[in-house]
Amino acid sequence: MRVGTNHLEMDELLALRDGEGGASARAHVEACEGCQQELERLYQVRAQLRALSGFAPPRGLWPRVARHVRRRRRLRRRLGYGAVGLAAAAALAGVYVVNDATRGPPAEPLEAWVIEAESQDLGPMISRSRELESLLQTYRPASQVYDAPTALAVSVLEDRILLLDRLLSDSRQLGVKRELLRDLWGERVETLETLVNLELAEPETVWR
Amino acid sequence: MRSDALTVASALVAQAREGDLKALESVYLAYQNAVYNLGRRICGNEEDAEDVLQDTFLEVCRSIGKFRGEGSLWGWIRQVAVSKALMLLRRERNRKIHFFGETGGLPEFVGNMPREPAGPIDLETALGRLPPVTRAVLWLHDVEGYTHEEIGQLMGKTASFSKSQLSRAHRRLREWLE
Repeated sequence: MRVGTNHLEMDELLALRDGEGGASARAHVEACEGCQQELERLYQVRAQLRALSGFAPPRGLWPRVARHVRRRRRLRRRLGYGAVGLAAAAALAGVYVVNDATRGPPAEPLEAWVIEAESQDLGPMISRSRELESLLQTYRPASQVYDAPTALAVSVLEDRILLLDRLLSDSRQLGVKRELLRDLWGERVETLETLVNLELAEPETVWR
Repeated sequence: MRSDALTVASALVAQAREGDLKALESVYLAYQNAVYNLGRRICGNEEDAEDVLQDTFLEVCRSIGKFRGEGSLWGWIRQVAVSKALMLLRRERNRKIHFFGETGGLPEFVGNMPREPAGPIDLETALGRLPPVTRAVLWLHDVEGYTHEEIGQLMGKTASFSKSQLSRAHRRLREWLE
């Protein structure tokens, strides 16, 4: 769209506003009252945008984030990430074990709902889950550096396991039916298998 | 909301980098407004802005150890927040593609607008009427100070795409605000 006949286009005016316009565009503005006004208007709109009032964020979001972080740390300990993230400094492992134990739920929340599931004849899937976790614990290097895509994939898989663990641990309260419970455990096994494949079977994608 | 003035004491940042949850909470408190507002401006609604805030700080807690202190902490957090917000936009776009098909039901993301307002409207309302991608480009460039090259890269597009979206945004604002 042209601002007006023989006037500068919007992108030319924006370039001038941002200090990028060419000499001919600048010369045109100096001589053209309409384009001067238009340029001034663009400066004003930008200033008004920057002056718009802010919105208040929701209250109480941090506890949710912190809960997730604690859960993730427990999961990483269980899956054998060792102390990489947790104890960059030697003392940290102790600090966080203590913090998690005092502030959050028990350090191994797996057990109660695992026992419950075992009683429902889901034993083979639970055994497979344990086997895969044990594989990760045993073979994952204590210090691991990933390239960005691998790090993202690991992170997504871990998040999925956390979500599944949450659902499984709340399954009784939620009244989850047996078929769904089986699917959830199945999904957990599949996710762990993908994680194992990613981390142990394709070393070329991982920098060590 | 610009947050150049926000700073967090370097000792606190060091503690946060080591994973101290109290220090991470302080970082959250210092930047929650800025991140929420960035999410709200890019995504255009409260629910998505809340998701941006939560996802951003989950990522910050997970990755702050990698922040090497080159550049400001806000610069790094803002980069995470922008990625999360654009990811949400993409997810919403993909969801619409899934339900409406590639060609149908998507004009509001980059092209046609809802019905034209009867008369002049205020800037806040006008911003809300812009298609999400156009609004995101406008906000990132004019308010947050991102270059067209940076925006193109963030969106998986070119600098020209960013420039044309910015022009489109200003043409629409010009019509609506007059």
